[in-house]
Amino acid sequence: MAHYYDIDEIIVEEELVSAVFQKAANGVGILDPSAETNSVEQGSKVELPFWLAHELLQRQAVTINVPACFNQKTRKEIQADAPCVDLRSRCPYFYELGCKLAPLVGDRTIGSLLLQAFLSRYKEVLSKAHTAASTPVPKVLTILTKEETNLYETAQSSMAAFKKWRMGGPRFQRASVLGRKRKPTD
Amino acid sequence: MAGQSDPHISLFSAQEVEFLGEDEMVEIVPNMRMDPLNLICGDFGPFRPQIATQVPLWLAVALKKRGKCTIRPPEWMSVEKLTQVLEAERNSLREFQPLPFHYVEIARLLSDHARDDIPDVYMVRSLIEDIRDVRFHKVETGLETIHERTHAVKLKNLSAMEANIVRPFVVRALQAFYKHDSPEMIPQPDTTAIRRRQAADRGPKRDRRY
Repeated sequence: MAHYYDIDEIIVEEELVSAVFQKAANGVGILDPSAETNSVEQGSKVELPFWLAHELLQRQAVTINVPACFNQKTRKEIQADAPCVDLRSRCPYFYELGCKLAPLVGDRTIGSLLLQAFLSRYKEVLSKAHTAASTPVPKVLTILTKEETNLYETAQSSMAAFKKWRMGGPRFQRASVLGRKRKPTD
Repeated sequence: MAGQSDPHISLFSAQEVEFLGEDEMVEIVPNMRMDPLNLICGDFGPFRPQIATQVPLWLAVALKKRGKCTIRPPEWMSVEKLTQVLEAERNSLREFQPLPFHYVEIARLLSDHARDDIPDVYMVRSLIEDIRDVRFHKVETGLETIHERTHAVKLKNLSAMEANIVRPFVVRALQAFYKHDSPEMIPQPDTTAIRRRQAADRGPKRDRRY
């Protein structure tokens, strides 16, 4: 369970997925905005966070539908021109959510969709990552998911560190605690 | 994966790689007389004026700063040799030329501290920069070709500093590719459920990119 404390994993599981209740549930009417009483009817469709839907699925209380970010429209866009698809506005955790959903939903094509999308976007990320100047933020940065942004920032920061080293500068830096003069106590 | 959200996954900073590079031996010509130095890493023999000795780079730089020696540049650091290397790098599109492992660090230290000991120091410095650019560009083009099923990436003759720059990116990218390509994600022809951990014994299909 090394992922239990990982912040990104926790945030991924907050993403909403749509689920259809198989049994009626009492006392949780807050989940369904259209419920009159404080309960959810069988067969009603609600948006649940992933961690809740996952647990309920294991108890066979809901079935999960594929969320909107994996629908046909997105798929077509990815097949057409993957590096330009704005995945961040759809779902900033596109890949992670897909990885978690794939065994649950029973849709076998999610895996290859993710792979194909990642492969073509990876080339774009790579070409921009190491060489782009830091000040004008390239447009591609705004459409990357969190995972791709990590990759990009990693390359950027290591390149920036190298450049800074190359510029030279003092080998030893004065420790910050020594900076201030102590007031003479008298 | 734990640590996935940390962008500072590189294990060595540039200063640390430089520190490791200072262990390389260079030749100095001392201008004073000193007894042998018995250090943990070795004994560096009696220093007599005008007799060349081999010492580690850190010791050479320290002596140079005190004005006690002149550093002789290593033999790969001449204008002719570097021009040859640059030509060879430009001609071969995939391979890297053999260069000392720490050439970037050695070149920087020597040009900072021993500028007057190197003939044509500006030419040497610009040649090394060019070589570095060409090699890094090759690394990038090489990385574009990795795809799924790549278990390892092998880059021959890569130097320490270059490896340090690309290390976090390559590690992350390979992790991501592995995660997306595990057998759970891509349905296999046989329908038996395969656990993710057993992807290691996937057979001898090892795909290496040179």
